[in-house]
Order: sequence, then C-alpha cells, then structure tokens
Amino acid sequence: MLTHLIILLDDTSPSYCHYDVTLKERRLIGLDDLKSGILFAMKENLNIQFVYPSYELPEEYVEAIESIDHTKIKPDSQSDEADVLILSDWKEVITDIAYNSTCIIRASRTELLDNRKQLKALMSKISRLNIAITDVDIFSDNDIDSYKNLLSCIADDVYAIIKTGKSLQVNLLTDLMMLDEMNNCNAGVNNITLAPNGRFYLCPAFYYNNSQDEVGDLRTGLKIKNQQLLRLDHAPICRNCDAFQCKRCIWLNGKLTLDRNTPSHQQCVIAHLERNSSCDLLEKLNRNGVKINNTHKIIKKQELDPFNIVNRWK
Amino acid sequence: MSQKIKDNSEGWQSGMARSITFIVTKDCQLACKYCYLVGKNTKERMDWKIAKEAIDYILDREREFPEESVAWEFIGGEPFLEIELIDKICDYLKKEMYRRDHHWFNSYRFSFSTNGINYHEDKVQNFIKKNYNHLSIGITIDGTELKHDLNRVYKHSEKGSYKDVVKNIPLWLKQFPGAATKVTISSTDIPYIKDSVLHLYNLGIKEVNINCVFEDVWEENDDVDFENQLIELADNIIDNGYYKEYACSFFSEFIGKPMDKELDNQNWCGAGKMLSIDAAGNFYPCTRFAQYSLRDKPAWIIGNVRDGIDQNKLRPFLTLDRTTQSSDECINCEVASGCAWCQGENYDAADTHTIYQRSTAICKMHKARVRANNYYWNKLYRKLEMEGMKEEYERQKTKVKESIC
Amino acid sequence: MEMTKIVGQVTPEERDEIQKLFERKNGLTELAKILTADNEELYQKLVKDMGETGTKFQQWWDTKAKQYGWESHPKGNWEINFQTCEITLVVNEA
Repeated sequence: MLTHLIILLDDTSPSYCHYDVTLKERRLIGLDDLKSGILFAMKENLNIQFVYPSYELPEEYVEAIESIDHTKIKPDSQSDEADVLILSDWKEVITDIAYNSTCIIRASRTELLDNRKQLKALMSKISRLNIAITDVDIFSDNDIDSYKNLLSCIADDVYAIIKTGKSLQVNLLTDLMMLDEMNNCNAGVNNITLAPNGRFYLCPAFYYNNSQDEVGDLRTGLKIKNQQLLRLDHAPICRNCDAFQCKRCIWLNGKLTLDRNTPSHQQCVIAHLERNSSCDLLEKLNRNGVKINNTHKIIKKQELDPFNIVNRWK
Repeated sequence: MSQKIKDNSEGWQSGMARSITFIVTKDCQLACKYCYLVGKNTKERMDWKIAKEAIDYILDREREFPEESVAWEFIGGEPFLEIELIDKICDYLKKEMYRRDHHWFNSYRFSFSTNGINYHEDKVQNFIKKNYNHLSIGITIDGTELKHDLNRVYKHSEKGSYKDVVKNIPLWLKQFPGAATKVTISSTDIPYIKDSVLHLYNLGIKEVNINCVFEDVWEENDDVDFENQLIELADNIIDNGYYKEYACSFFSEFIGKPMDKELDNQNWCGAGKMLSIDAAGNFYPCTRFAQYSLRDKPAWIIGNVRDGIDQNKLRPFLTLDRTTQSSDECINCEVASGCAWCQGENYDAADTHTIYQRSTAICKMHKARVRANNYYWNKLYRKLEMEGMKEEYERQKTKVKESIC
Repeated sequence: MEMTKIVGQVTPEERDEIQKLFERKNGLTELAKILTADNEELYQKLVKDMGETGTKFQQWWDTKAKQYGWESHPKGNWEINFQTCEITLVVNEA
C-alpha cells in the first residue's frame, strides 16, 4: 500500500540514494504540478517527502509546500529546517550539524575509507546516518575483504560513540538490530516519486536514467504495471532472506539482472557482509554492557549470497 | 555370444543434458506463417572464428558446465543451409572434447531441427554418416499436404514445401526409425489436426509432438473447434488401435489436474540452463531471447564470447518458479497440470521488462485439450478393460515426452 | 525369424557403467574417422584408448553374464535397454 510520495522539486535536486543525478540544468517543478501533487497526496493519504534543490525556492512554492505536513530532504547548502540532510562534501560535513539531524552521505567504498576521520566526527554529532554506497554495481568478490574491513572500521567508531552514552543509528550496521522483518526501500509499493516533469516514477533513479520509464502522471493517475513483481513475496531470492536492512533496490536489480524482482550478486553479498558486521557489533555492545533492544536474533552466516540456496537448477 | 546396445536415444539423458545452441544462420528457404522468428535475414551467418571462440570459451570452463551430458544444437533459420560450417564445428568439438579429456566426450549429441528440404543432399548425408551415432535430427512436417502448405511456404514464391519435404521422410525414417516430428498448431490449422496426425502416422512417424503456439493468436470458438478435432482424433486413434504403437503428445495422463503450490512449483521451461550463441558471438539464455525472435522487447543478452557470461543476468531464470510468475487464476486452476508456457514468449508479451509475467493466451486451448484428453483416456481405458488388455497396456504403453519448443 | 526374451536386469549403477563405455566407444569410433596419423599425439592416444575401451566393454558383459547367469543361445546376442536396465536375449534363427 502506498504511504509516501516523494516530490523532486527540481531536476538538480541532489540524489539521496544509489543513483546519480544526470540532469545538470535547473528545472523547477511547475507550480500547478506541485499543487496537484500535494492534492494527490492528500486524497491518497500519502506522506510527502520534498527533495529540495541547492537554491532557494520562490515564495509561492514555499507557501504551497507549507500547506501540508511533510518531510524536508535538503542538500547541506540549504540546511534550514531540514528533516534529512544530504551531505555533499567531506570538508563540510562536521560544521553546523544539529545533534538530532538525520544525514545522508553518498560515497564509494574507497571514499568512505579515505574519509574515516570525518565520518567519525560526523557520527558523533548526529543521531542517524544513512550511507548510500554509490559503486554497488562494480563490487566484485575480490572486494569482499576490503568491504568487511570498511564495515569493521565504521563499527569500531559506532561502538566508541555509543559507549559514551550517545544514541546513534547507522543504517548499514544498526538497522538490522531493530528489525524483525524486511525493511526494504519498497519503491513502487510503499512510495512513489513525482518528478519535475509532472510524471510519476517508481523512484528518482528511474527518472534520471530514462524519463520515458514513467508510471503515470498527475492527469491520468498512477499506472504501475506488474506492481506485484515489486513486492517482497514475488522476489524468490529475497522473500526468505533475513538481511532485513537491505534496500533491495529495484532500480539496481533491473540494471544488473534485467529483472526488477531479482537482486544482483553484488547487492546480496554487500547486504550479507553488513548483516555479519551488525552481528559483530551487537555482540560487542552486549559484551560490554550496552543494552540494545533487538527483537531479532542475528546469527552470522558463511553463505553471502542466498541465490546459491534458492537456485532451482543447481 | 555377442552383445548389442538397444538404441533408445529418444530417452537420451532424460532432459538432464546441458543444451548449447549455435544459431548458425538466420536464413531459411521457407517463410512459415506461424514462425516466431520475426527477424530472419540472409546476412547474419555465423563464421568459424565466432564458433571456435564460443567452443573454446565453453570447453575452457568445464567446472561451470558440470552437467554429465551435452546436446550441441544447431538452429536457424534452416541449419542445414550451413552444413559445411556445422561439419567443421562438430569435428572441432570432437577433437577438442577428446584432447582436453572433457567429461562431455563420453556423452554428447548433435541435435538438429530442420525443415527437411535439403536432407537428401550429399553434404548433409555425408555429415550424417560421419556422426551417425551422435545425431538427433527432427524434421518438421505439419501433416497433410493441405495443412503443411497452409503455413510452410517458400519465402519468395509462397509455394508450399510439402512435396520437397515428404520425399525425404522415408530416408530419414530409415536412418532414424524412432524419429519424432514436431507440429505447431495455429488458429488456421485447427480444422486439419486430426487428418494431419493420422497422415503422419501413415508416413511411418510414430511419435508426433504437437502443440499450440503460445502467441496470442486465438479466435473466438477456436477452443470448441480444437476440442472437436481432438475428440475425432481420439476416436480414430482408439478405434484403429494406433495407441499400441503410435504416440501423440496431445494425449497425456498427466495433464489437467490441479497443482500444489509448493510441491509442484518448478518452472516449465529450461531457459537459463540452455545457452544460445548467435553470429555476433552473443550469448542468450535460449534462442527465443535473441533479437530475431522478439517482437516487442530488446534481446536478453547474457554475455558474449569475448567477455563471457554475466551470471547476474541469469539469476532471474535460475530462481524462477511456477507460482511467482503466475496469476492467482493460474495458481488455483483446477486443470493446471500440462499447461505449458514459453519463457521467451512470456517476456515478449509481458507488460514490463520481465520474465516473471506468464502469458495466458493459451488458456482456453489448454482447457479444450484437457476435456478432449479426459475423453481419450476414459474411452481408451474402457475399451482396454472390455478387452482384458488394461494391464498389458499399462506395462507397454508408449511414453510421450512433453515437448514445447 | 527373430525371437526376443528378457533374461535379466542390471542395477542403474551397472547400466551407467556400460552406457558410459558405449558412448565412449561410439565417440572414439567417430573421432577415428576424422583423425589422421599426422596429428600424432592425439592419434596415438586414440589408438590406445580404443583398445582399452573395447576391452573394458567386453569385460563388463563377461562379468555381468557370469554374475547373473543370463540365458544364452548359440545364434543369439544380448541387448541392454538403457531406460529399463533390462537384458534381452535376441535369437536370430534365419
């Protein structure tokens, strides 16, 4: 069931996930489309998440946005009143961040390792960090050890911060501790995106990669074909998996396996490495007297790709 | 005492072999009206360099192809148009499998699906003599002259090809007495089904594998006409005793039953466990995913001879099950068993880029088949009971394999 | 006139042994048609292999005939059906 509408206010609104923003020219969503989008969300009972560009919006846009309860996802250059802040530059990450902020950082695995100090400084100031890895598609089995090492480094920092009594969530490592079922992105099932061209997309990634790949518009409504294939129960590799923190990105699925309900080897291995690191971190926290109210017991796994269990032809 | 091996290549490896298909040409003498190959042409002929690279790629990776047996298949267009290339490929395969001590040397076949037009030619016959013990050749003949020529026509003259094919049937059956033929039924063929199957029996073909096309071609009342044809065919087969020695895949005891969601959840089609290679050296999960087979979708390329197979692009095929791709109506269908599908057609007809949306164009034809099939078995078993022959029949009955593509 | 009679049955494992040898024998025979002596290494390997495979093939029949005591006939031969694992005695009186 749809619960959220994401509205990209401008073609240059920054990415908050795996995809890249491929459009460089500013194009603000039409005011009428913005208002229609808000009306659509009100009638469908959807929570709206606005993704802001890195410039100030005209007054009439601000007025329209403020006419409805919503979440502001903003680039760090426009951090006023942001509910979620998208960080763009490692140098800037530790200045002027409010303690209760949720931040998103998009980075390759190498960038994360190279900027570990800044990452730790950032984590010590905020309540939640979402890390979006930008190079999932080029991950290979040769990278398993280096990713394990990266997660272990971040986990050490998370541990050190939590040990001081501060509350901190990092999606890759702590989400799994709180989950007892899949918490995937669910694009096209729980959320849908309205792009600046007035058309709906399963998520911003589909808009930026092929603007023809729409699933309806404000005039004719949503038309999501094969929506069942976006659901967990129609994903044979995922439906029995317990790497609950995995985003199960349907855009990456389509890009790498050609079918949106099928995750790539990369996505599965990365999610399982995170799963195992969560397990290590939880054990370490428990061993050292930090109580985490986890409802789901995490047991480490040797098999990093559930495909090898599900493969019907092996 | 001497010893012999009973030749029963029909049951060779019971479908457990890896199938590797060379699309040697996209050309054919015919332009069959029901042919799913929408992109046939005279230009895309495989050259030796690509064929050799493909063979080397596959044989270099013995561990990635662990199946005990292999069927090297040659498809077109019409494969025998490229008999010289095929001969060179087969010689190289034999030498290389042997030189490398590859496990497939102990269990391989060369398999062909041909229109039969140049079957008698010296080049083809010499090839057959040279590789006789490893051959599986199917000639497609659709039945009576009228039925055959309705669809299987020459591409330029639109003349029917029946006469040119039927003259080669005796030679084919002499060389391969247990050979089977494949018949495809489209809407316009329905009135000729009974006569066609009986005609093929009379030509000496004892196994007729026949199926309706999966494409959405069916007209109103086709199911009624189809059922009537099958019932007439059933009467003929039973009344004339053909059931003792002849088989027709329309009639099977295993179709028309509900299917368990969990126990009967396997995919029907073997796409993904097959490998097809085209003239450009691209790999496909099955020939039906090559561009020349697709109407509305882009080719599903899983790699090429230079870069190898991208295993990610095979994952959807290898995890595909029956229920995930089926609608609730299909899952709960009371006569689900035996209702076939083609993964390539599913993909081509799907609303999105997926192999997980089962096409149901064949639904009413399957239901008609089930009704006629029930009639057939009820009638046959009653007759056998009356004659006291039921047990004997059970022991000796001809096994028919479901063959759909 | 040909007469046939089922005289025994082997296990699926025994069937697999003879089927593999049969397939190999056929493979070697057809390879021999295209291999010439100038491909010396492969040719020598083939000649040796044909001898060894032929011997193993015959040994299988001798061993199994003795083990199971299959009925025989001076004008007959045995056949194996790979699907059923049955051994048939075929007698040709012509």
